[in-house]
Amino acid sequence: MLKKRIIPKFLIQNGRLVKAQQFHNNFREAGNPVSTARVYNDYGVDEIIFLDIEASPSGRQTVVEVIKKASEAIFMPFTVGGGIRSIADINELLRAGADKVAINTAALDNPVFIEQAAYKYGSQCLTIAIDYREVEKGKFRVFSNGGYRITDWDPLEWSRRMEAAGCGEIILCSIDRDGMMSGYDLDMLEKASAMLRIPVIASSGAGSLEDCCRAFESGAAAIAISSMFLFTDHSPIKVRSYLASQHISVRASRNSRN
Amino acid sequence: MIAIIDYGMGNVRSVFNAMEYLDYDSIISSDYSDIEHCSHIILPGVGAFAEAMKNIRKRSLDKILEQEVLYKGKPFLGICLGMQLLASSSEEFGVHDGLGWFKGQVLKLKAEEDGLKMPHIGWNDIKICKEHPIFKGLNQDTATFYFVHSFHLNCKDENEQLAYCEYGEKFTAAIFRDNIVATQFHPEKSQDNGLLLLNNFVCWRRADA
Repeated sequence: MLKKRIIPKFLIQNGRLVKAQQFHNNFREAGNPVSTARVYNDYGVDEIIFLDIEASPSGRQTVVEVIKKASEAIFMPFTVGGGIRSIADINELLRAGADKVAINTAALDNPVFIEQAAYKYGSQCLTIAIDYREVEKGKFRVFSNGGYRITDWDPLEWSRRMEAAGCGEIILCSIDRDGMMSGYDLDMLEKASAMLRIPVIASSGAGSLEDCCRAFESGAAAIAISSMFLFTDHSPIKVRSYLASQHISVRASRNSRN
Repeated sequence: MIAIIDYGMGNVRSVFNAMEYLDYDSIISSDYSDIEHCSHIILPGVGAFAEAMKNIRKRSLDKILEQEVLYKGKPFLGICLGMQLLASSSEEFGVHDGLGWFKGQVLKLKAEEDGLKMPHIGWNDIKICKEHPIFKGLNQDTATFYFVHSFHLNCKDENEQLAYCEYGEKFTAAIFRDNIVATQFHPEKSQDNGLLLLNNFVCWRRADA
């Protein structure tokens, strides 16, 4: 049976792991990305997402180095995102060791880019990151440029458009909930999962073991976790054993695997 | 020395890194002069079938692999697209001929009809059908590997099916014959289980085949 995935999400700035709240507030440093990735490999997480939040040429080089180093020691899937604008950018990251790329702004600026990338590299390596906010009661809008620019897209409409363009996965990221550890946006998750035929990854808001369980009950194929792993004592091992106790199909823990 | 075949379809670096990690010498190449000196051959790959076959023919890799694998009998491991390419043909974006080492077609997974998400991305259990050196030491109860694909090789000959996986339907997760083995999942991305399998592959000699 296909397992539900537990994915730590690493934000990288100046080569360091960082974490903020609602994208822009209360930045905290959280360590070295490669050594932290090694620790999470030992925990037996299912994938790792690396996001370069500088999204600048120098930021890109840093992330390429991080991926190169990580892929020498860690043998699990990596998704890498942040500032990807061209086929050449995708190629560089895949060659450095990424398995999938996460794209946001470039897709909003030019949706055809996703069709071209899907044709060249296949849907399985294209993840669309959807950053969104509730702008009025019940009205949601997708944001680009690291949460700084509002667009006219409703997140559900946008996810459907991206599925049609050939992306293989969606990461739903509520800016309002980012770093707040008050739970995922279950309503949006449920709607997106029911509507789309591609897998949906829940992101932003995990604060408790129950939050993780609820995300899967709402239809998520995977959960991305950042603050909860970095700033609380909830480890991937605890999350996994809690989910197993709630009859969610997860991978066996690492020491029972071999 | 292990040859990792480079035909411009990504993912070669991960296999190379896994070999380094396991302390085996390997070389990423598409040149006959390199490949003929290697004891083992790995054909990795991610991407579209037709594009891959075009690249393989352009580099004469179909002839080279035939010589080294089918005639000389070197241990061979195909991974993901590198497994699908061994089929007679594929239905991905039109019908295309494959290398034809195994009878069967590459077809789209039927999972979508069952309301399951596509592509099939993530960790899934495999059921081992036959004992084989590459599965030595693997615990069947925790035989979970990483998959990422929408198509699969529909193996015609049951004797060649080494393992299967279930996602909506039962599909072939690994095939074998003589010195050839191939997996739909990614051992180079499957942590401990994957490294175990890759190590077994390198330890697999022709005498065991």
